[in-house]
Amino acid sequence: MARITAGVGSSHVPLLGVAVDQGKTRDDYFAPIFAGYDWTRQWEADAKPDVVVLIYNDHASAFDMKIIPTFAIGCGDRYKPADEGWGPRPVPDVEGHADLAWHIAQSLILDDFDMTIINEMDVDHGLTVPLSMMFGTPAAWPVKVVPLAVNVVTYPVPSGNRCWALGEAIARAVASFPEDLNVQIWGTGGMSHQLQGARAGLLNRAWDNAFVDMLIGDSQAARWIPHIEYLRETGSEGIEMVMWLIMRGALGPRTRLLHRHYHIPCSNTAIGHIVLEPA
Amino acid sequence: MMDDIHAYLAEFEDIPGTRVYTAARARVGYHLNQFAMSLMKPENRARWKADEAAYLDEWPMSDDQKAAVLARDYNRMLDLGGNIYFLSKIFSTDGLSFAEAVSTMTDMSFPEYRAMMMRGGRSPEGQRSIKGGF
Repeated sequence: MARITAGVGSSHVPLLGVAVDQGKTRDDYFAPIFAGYDWTRQWEADAKPDVVVLIYNDHASAFDMKIIPTFAIGCGDRYKPADEGWGPRPVPDVEGHADLAWHIAQSLILDDFDMTIINEMDVDHGLTVPLSMMFGTPAAWPVKVVPLAVNVVTYPVPSGNRCWALGEAIARAVASFPEDLNVQIWGTGGMSHQLQGARAGLLNRAWDNAFVDMLIGDSQAARWIPHIEYLRETGSEGIEMVMWLIMRGALGPRTRLLHRHYHIPCSNTAIGHIVLEPA
Repeated sequence: MMDDIHAYLAEFEDIPGTRVYTAARARVGYHLNQFAMSLMKPENRARWKADEAAYLDEWPMSDDQKAAVLARDYNRMLDLGGNIYFLSKIFSTDGLSFAEAVSTMTDMSFPEYRAMMMRGGRSPEGQRSIKGGF
């Protein structure tokens, strides 16, 4: 049977993709960020997951304002890197796992989550930057990916509780897939950042780290954080952290910390990542 | 379960220097954001660069929205329903980085903004609530 073996939470700042694509990952600005991911890259090389369920948000790339799905799952065989206005990132195409994705989609719908199903789309930095951070610059990505896009742009975005519960349902769905697969789940986005208005540049080291603390062990406190708290404490774009709760929910009642890292700044954003396993 | 949608939405207006992208803003800004999205295509970027005003006239946007775009007044665009992820297509077309474009919405120059970020970013102290002042 398929099983979820680990969860990763990670920022997906587009500038990190630029650093990778331009070979700047060890310069003075980026070195402390990429050094924090060295442990995780080695761990991924050893863990050899077959599939990653990759929770992310689209940044006005595949989706515009015409259609706004709250939760959308990619069930295709292949996804190309999106042209976000300056040409697509020079990274490999992302290979899907259509059998597992369709199984998860059907299971979630029967489990009362009304998913939008996507057969074709391009994937933007929200999805490809975490792949670069975990796997570097291979000729082909070493995993298949089930993309799961969350609306965290147009309010109301899904509640923390709903995200956590979706993660629990994803874990049930994966566990009922008959093939023997090593599956990881990644929640991406954040951490504190605000990209708009007079308050732009807000970062909150204390809150971000308290949030990470809440994902370790058996606490369920994070699922009850209201939207207004993310907005006040972490900036208008910090709300992306609700996507980490889908990852946390999928890991079950208790987690064990394998690695965490936090660095300020990257462009407008606080960078953080965490590696957890079910305990 | 959120039991009072009006209280939920009202709290969003209590954050200093922030426009939360609510349904109300998304409705006002629909064509502004879709115009910005159109700049994802190279052929549209070329037409836009050749004659910005003529390109804007193809969209059912308000005169205020068009003026804000032409002036690259991002705070005004936010007031008129713009969302930063869509508006980013405009400043990307102009060749501005996200950080530089974002700095234009603050009271700082880009070098000052960059220096603030290197010092740890803007503190949330006093920036969380207009009414509460915390």
